[in-house]
Amino acid sequence: MASKASPSPSASRSGSLKDASMAKADESAPVSKEIVSVIESLKRHVVDERCVSIKERMDNNRHKLASITSHLQKLSKERRNSWINFADSSLDLLKKRQDDAIGMHSGIGTSSSDKDSDSDQEDSHASTAVLLGTSIPPGKNSVRPIRLPEVKKLPPYTTWIFLDRNQRMTEDQSVVGRRRIYYAQNDGEALICSDSEEENVDEEEEKKYFLESEDYIIRMAIKEAGFSDAVINSLAECFSRKADEVKARYESLTKEEKTSVDSLNVDSEASSLNCFLEKDLEAALDSFDNLFCRRCLVFDCRLHGCSQDLVFPAEKPPPLNRPDLDNLPCGEHCYRSVSKPEKVATDDSPELGDTKDNSVQPSSGSAGTRTSVRKKHTPCARKKAKPSQSESASSIVKNMSDSSDSEIEPQHTASTSHLSPSKTKLGGNGGVSQRNSKRVAERVLSCSKKRQKVVGSDSDSVASGSVLGGDGKLSSSPHKENEDANSSSQKHAKSRSRKRELSIQNLQGEARDGISSGMVTDPPGNNSDVTLRKDDCADGNSCEMALNDNLSWKAFEKSLFEKGVEIFGRNSCLIARNLLNGLKTCVEVFQFMTQGDKRLAYQAGDAANSLGDGYSKFEHQGNNEVRRRSKFLRRRGRVRRLKYSWKSTAYHSIRKRISERKDQPCRQYNPCGCQTACGKECPCHLNGTCCEKYCGCPKTCKNRFRGCHCAKSQCRSRQCPCFAADRECDPDVCRNCWVSCGDGSLGVPNQRGDNYECRNMKLLLRQQRRVLLGKSDVSGWGAFLKNSVVKNEYLGEYTGELISHREADKRGKIYDRENSSFLFNLNDQAGWFVLDAYRKGDKLKFANHSPDPNCYAKVIMVAGDHRVGIFAKERINSGEELFYDYRYEPDRAPAWARKPEATGSKKEEPSHPSGRAKKLA
Amino acid sequence: MARIPLGCEPVIGSLVPSKKRDYRVTNRLQEGKRPLYAVVFNFIDSRYFNVFATVGGNRVTVYQCLEGGVIAVLQSYVDEDVRTKDESFYTVTWACNRDGSPFVVAGGINGIIRVIDAGHEKIDKSFVGHGDSVNEIRTQPLKPSLVVSASKDESVRLWNVHTGVCILIFAGAGGHRNEVLSVDFHPSDMYRIASCGMDNTVKIWSMKEFWPSVEKSFTWTDLPSKFPTKYVQFPVFIASVHSNYVDCNRWLGDFVLSKSVDNEIVLWEPRTKDQSPGEGTVDILQKYPVPECDIWFIKFSCDFHYNAAAIGNREGKIFVWELQTSPPSLIARLSHAQSKSPIRQTAMSFDGSTILSCCEDGTIWRWDAVSSSSSSSSSQV
Repeated sequence: MASKASPSPSASRSGSLKDASMAKADESAPVSKEIVSVIESLKRHVVDERCVSIKERMDNNRHKLASITSHLQKLSKERRNSWINFADSSLDLLKKRQDDAIGMHSGIGTSSSDKDSDSDQEDSHASTAVLLGTSIPPGKNSVRPIRLPEVKKLPPYTTWIFLDRNQRMTEDQSVVGRRRIYYAQNDGEALICSDSEEENVDEEEEKKYFLESEDYIIRMAIKEAGFSDAVINSLAECFSRKADEVKARYESLTKEEKTSVDSLNVDSEASSLNCFLEKDLEAALDSFDNLFCRRCLVFDCRLHGCSQDLVFPAEKPPPLNRPDLDNLPCGEHCYRSVSKPEKVATDDSPELGDTKDNSVQPSSGSAGTRTSVRKKHTPCARKKAKPSQSESASSIVKNMSDSSDSEIEPQHTASTSHLSPSKTKLGGNGGVSQRNSKRVAERVLSCSKKRQKVVGSDSDSVASGSVLGGDGKLSSSPHKENEDANSSSQKHAKSRSRKRELSIQNLQGEARDGISSGMVTDPPGNNSDVTLRKDDCADGNSCEMALNDNLSWKAFEKSLFEKGVEIFGRNSCLIARNLLNGLKTCVEVFQFMTQGDKRLAYQAGDAANSLGDGYSKFEHQGNNEVRRRSKFLRRRGRVRRLKYSWKSTAYHSIRKRISERKDQPCRQYNPCGCQTACGKECPCHLNGTCCEKYCGCPKTCKNRFRGCHCAKSQCRSRQCPCFAADRECDPDVCRNCWVSCGDGSLGVPNQRGDNYECRNMKLLLRQQRRVLLGKSDVSGWGAFLKNSVVKNEYLGEYTGELISHREADKRGKIYDRENSSFLFNLNDQAGWFVLDAYRKGDKLKFANHSPDPNCYAKVIMVAGDHRVGIFAKERINSGEELFYDYRYEPDRAPAWARKPEATGSKKEEPSHPSGRAKKLA
Repeated sequence: MARIPLGCEPVIGSLVPSKKRDYRVTNRLQEGKRPLYAVVFNFIDSRYFNVFATVGGNRVTVYQCLEGGVIAVLQSYVDEDVRTKDESFYTVTWACNRDGSPFVVAGGINGIIRVIDAGHEKIDKSFVGHGDSVNEIRTQPLKPSLVVSASKDESVRLWNVHTGVCILIFAGAGGHRNEVLSVDFHPSDMYRIASCGMDNTVKIWSMKEFWPSVEKSFTWTDLPSKFPTKYVQFPVFIASVHSNYVDCNRWLGDFVLSKSVDNEIVLWEPRTKDQSPGEGTVDILQKYPVPECDIWFIKFSCDFHYNAAAIGNREGKIFVWELQTSPPSLIARLSHAQSKSPIRQTAMSFDGSTILSCCEDGTIWRWDAVSSSSSSSSSQV
């Protein structure tokens, strides 16, 4: 591949590269010489192609531009003409002067003929200067300058002008995780307050994308020189990458090539689909999962950070079911109205089918178990056949299923026996967790529990719906959902035979098989069922149709559908209306639902022959979910997590504290994800915190804080368990705590406890007292109360930036220099957070220290977070200044706080004008 | 700009002049003591293709190029800032109102844009709005009533000289983070402008969504200050081509020419991604080296058809590049023994046969092509 004479720069470049790599190659191996030459020629080829392509693009651009500029030229000519038509040309002084100048230039001195103009301004035009190269004396001075009247500048404060300060303000918002320098105000010394060595590690990795050209060289070089280590190595050298990278790239390239050839004819129209429609719900919900704070109900929560662990509550709400809507067509596209005429009367809807099943169950005795099983399957089979819309087909199905009844019997018993060993395995909750998706299994358990309850009490369609809902969430494709349908039907049979516990175990076992499933073998009952259905499919020839239909469903629509099944049960009306509005009609949803069943049956039928094939796919999908999630976690986690290392810092700055008690540290609460009642290994338990409402564990969990049952005491004394535990009451948790809002005109909530409103929710509701800022009687600023309050009244919250202890130590170095501290220890000493009100905070931060204070601060747990409330220690009259005891640790207290007997209290902050200005800003 | 990956190298022009055309100094005049920052030919109206304007200090001057290297002074305007005399114009452009009357639009350190009606030799309007000095003003060639200004206050503003309203402000969340030094209208796509500045980026903006507002500005009869000026906060493309101040950018068709202080003009293609506005890649196509051009605020200029660009340098030399060939070829390197002062801006006449340069020392140089092939005079159009 000899290159033709290329333009000089590129030639010289590739030449020099060649020399360098040649020299290296010589040292390594003589064989590689020719490889290098091959690579070099390829490189030259790439460079040449680049030149050619640039040339082409430049040419294209030139053609385009030529037409543009000629159009512009035309426009400019038009302007001239329009001007001539429009107005008297003598009005245009510019034109006139231009003509004069030309006149002067051509016939020197003859221009004075039109000096007869009226105004004195016109006088000057005759003396239009012609400079240099003519005999006319330079007349710059003779052109009288025309004055532009003065215009007032905008006063600078009305416009936004770029200032360094402005920029710094915006960057300043986030303090954590950034290298930062503080300037001490007094002695101008710069202090670096972040450790560089730690944060520099975060540097972005160098991007290692392979470019098209590199791919090309890899491909061609290996084609020509063969695939060997020498080639790979010299390629790697040439790209300055690692050899294994190149190798991996080559492999992926060859793979790509193959697939691209394969898919060329298949995918041509599919590729035109909008890429975002291809995203499935999982990916779309990623931001919700990772950025939404479930505790504060906001996105991008600053308090709890991103990428919180997803906690799924153990108790799930049942799927929405409104019976009144069940039998009415939802609209013109409702499957009910469409499919009625051509439908076999017995199986008009899945709901009806289910209810029929359920109604059958209680009536049949224990001897009738198997028939009911069969009956359970029959409607399903019919449902499958319905899309084919041939009654004959469905009747065949019926026959088939009838005939295969006898087959099912033994197999089903086999399935139960097969499942019973799994029961032992699943005995404890911990056993389930061995599976790769522990959470999934646990959820199945909980669902089955609930189901058991429902079936026991009343056998209506809700039961099956709820199971389907719960299971449907787990499944990542409709196939699985059908699997669940099967399992649930079998479970029905069991539960009817009053062996409820066993049925739960069965469900577990089956769910495990069908969904998360490491098990290769399919429950035989399913298999037979499945082969049976396979026959129908072949019969009605509807399977291909189903596949076609399935293709028109985009990935996100499928996931929406699954969510819909989870929320609404198998109610196509509600799913279509609420989730797929405008995308799919009710009929389509219904067909998809039923075809999903059938397709699964078809595939499972195949799987019966080659076991594990279909299930490995499911398993793969299940894993996929986990893997994808962890990737997001990795990526996001780096960004926002508060970093805190347990490195001991030699220096501890002075901080305010709440109390001298060291024995009762406040522990930072993190919700646990336990799905059953928390045991010894629950993170909350280990951490020493109670489980809160954000935990996943059920309400019966022993570690839960149960709230209070106070009614008349209004939670104001230590009799209230919440109050005693330094917690605020939470209407979600406590039984009788409530607060009315407004004047009652909007309707108050039903008043429990005889109008006794809870008085222990003030922080949550932000019912603080009015605090005024003023010049302190002691020194500097002080906080004053506007209205008088009684003892123990809540005054307000001490707010500020929530920072880690390590960051607090860094900041403390500066604050100590200014002898002012707004740091407030929040949690336990080894723990997490310190409040810094230096830059951000409310007026209560100005309250001064006093050894004999009238207020006290208390850390209170509010909805899982620790917050600092300031309370009145005694009755305080309006206008009084607020003081509280900062409670510095004795050895670290600043001088002015150390001697309580000294005259009054000194300032929390000395009066540095600069420091104070900053604080107020 | 780390390693340039293989297969993406720009084509770099060689500094050996092709001698396609040669230029000679035909005139030199000293306008004043203060530095001249801008010189520009009128490309708006074909009658005035040989008329140019310069700005420097508090003075705006209109000249005409005549045959034989003669330059005629036509008009001169002085900002009457009596008290402070601190006006220093940085930029000037030609525009016209809807009647076709030629306007000279100039701006400078005060941030006030002066719209001078050259046809009537009087000030027409003054645009007050920028919070700091105006670094460049350009005219929309398709609608020459529209001018766009780049300012030190980090904003770019679109004005209508016909009605005197400020139509749009390109600034805010996605805007520049330091002085905007240069701005240019796309030659054919009326919605598009490119701006660059001291934040080292080139930003491409689209006013497509705001076009009704632009249309409205032509028929605005109320007070200009009552016009509902809109903010364009997000550019459609942000390019980090340079690693230092970007002080001049021009569209070359759909490509962009831009220069920083590293002795070269770069031609690149913005490739926007459809799904994600604001993102995209830059494909650097060509580079036009300009030696000794490492100070900022040196602007280049193109002729009407964008065939050639002329740029001065720190030492008073001018490099004339053929823009649209690949590889780029240097048409000529112009130097004169007495031209030693930095050339802030050049102006190429309609056909490129005349090159004007304005220098820091207040001189204007006129260079005329001497090759027989091209027309020697720009006065005939």
